[in-house]
Amino acid sequence: MINSLKLIPLLVIALILSACSGVTGKEVTVGGKNFTEQYLLSEMTAFLLVEEGFKVNQMNNLGSSVVRSALINGQVDMMWEYTGTALITYMGEESISDPEAAFDRVKELDSENNIHWMNMSEVNNTYALAMTSERSEELGITSISDLADYINDNPGELTMAADAEFANRSDGLPGVEETYGFSFGSGQVKQMDLGLTQRSLDNEQVDVSVAFETDATIRSYDLVVLEDDERFFPPYRIAVTINEEVFEEYPEIEEITARLADRLDSNIMRELNYLVDIEGQSVSVVAYDWLVESGLLEEE
Amino acid sequence: MKRKKLIGSIVRYALYAAVAAFFIWAISNSYFDYIFSQSDTFLVLLRQHVVLVLVSSLLAILIAVPAGILITRPKFKKAEWVFSNIANLGQTIPSLAVLALMISILGIGFQTAVFALFIYSILPIFRNTVAGIDSIDKNMIDAAKGMGMKPHQILFRIELPNSAYSILAGIRTAVVLNIGTAALAYVVGAGGLGVWIFTGINLFDNGFLISGAIPVTLLAILADYILRKVEYIVVPKGSRRVEKA
Repeated sequence: MINSLKLIPLLVIALILSACSGVTGKEVTVGGKNFTEQYLLSEMTAFLLVEEGFKVNQMNNLGSSVVRSALINGQVDMMWEYTGTALITYMGEESISDPEAAFDRVKELDSENNIHWMNMSEVNNTYALAMTSERSEELGITSISDLADYINDNPGELTMAADAEFANRSDGLPGVEETYGFSFGSGQVKQMDLGLTQRSLDNEQVDVSVAFETDATIRSYDLVVLEDDERFFPPYRIAVTINEEVFEEYPEIEEITARLADRLDSNIMRELNYLVDIEGQSVSVVAYDWLVESGLLEEE
Repeated sequence: MKRKKLIGSIVRYALYAAVAAFFIWAISNSYFDYIFSQSDTFLVLLRQHVVLVLVSSLLAILIAVPAGILITRPKFKKAEWVFSNIANLGQTIPSLAVLALMISILGIGFQTAVFALFIYSILPIFRNTVAGIDSIDKNMIDAAKGMGMKPHQILFRIELPNSAYSILAGIRTAVVLNIGTAALAYVVGAGGLGVWIFTGINLFDNGFLISGAIPVTLLAILADYILRKVEYIVVPKGSRRVEKA
């Protein structure tokens, strides 16, 4: 009796330990940022990894710098990152306009942080400034230079919607204002949740809004993306960033995520974002349907 | 008794030391720099924050205090549970959800945030008003009736002065909560100091976080202090609670 009682704690420990590992003992944590495209990428990656026998934890809905810190300190094992964001915001480098060169540069710089870059895809989700086509015609603004001229001639007239990140990132609004030589002025930039920025543009509560190249709202709200005529925004190609040790442990992740990276492009991404943002379908359903459709996942 | 005093003072000084240490840490890391380097933005955000809190709190006082008075009239006694439940509901819906729900009706920005904060502030004020009036000794009301006072005289001369302490306690609770909750106004584009708090979270930048959060904290402490002073003026001498220091 006494002996069996002594066994109980051991049993408990054994159970806890066994619960910590999946069926195959392979486990990764996938991180994601706080917008639709990232939810989708994280979800698709999770589906594929689970299919390959991994136990997947997801940490989604984080700010760029937050999830990046989590990747560096090992709380997150892997995530889809944008070359431009890493180059300018994380590493403070100058913009590089050639996508391949930008990728090589961040890969080289990030090896010091124990982070491995791989599988750059065609998806280029660059930041952009958008206006409604109506307003853009009315004011005769089609490029960011036009916008700069207009604001310098009529200070304090136009308002802009941005999320906290774009409004304060060096490759965001401060960089745009510096490069083009204008300033909205404080109080003219309305900061809000990223999901509401184009909506407030559509409601005519602001004149300009932050947008992404792969935004579904650009089409459905009839928006005009202002031409970046000074080529300020770097390429924002998505690629997999993964912790070196995790990558050494599970090299098969490269091949698994390559299936996604090779098939995705900006148009497909915009289409998927559309299904979630405009049609209101759930992220999981959209991710799963697309994987099945492209033959990456067997329908169950 | 002596031991209690000693422990009390130890705790108090430990707290002072912790606060001082925090400020020394924050200043030495120059986490307050944004307040000075972007002072024009800071002032805009501060003004937005204060206006949000003031407008929503005043609306809540204007609605909740009369509602509390109305409910305590004998005629309306039966309807009390209806009002109480509505007020409770307002408090239990997460403020973020109220914000999200109101966007489709009120659009994005100031009015949505004010509405959400207003809903959130009603309950403590309403409940304290009702409790304050209900707690008045029935004998006092009877005495007033015996003296030939009219109902409105009883209300203004007996009930309100005697429940002022409780009503103001409710207002204080609501306003202090409101100042903290107003940080969520950023989400719907209504500005306020929450903009810097969220910037700090999203960019992992302690400077923005602290430059936003500490002023919010100080605002709450200041509001509490001012309302204490108001309480001192408004509450009649006879019903003042003696605070044991």
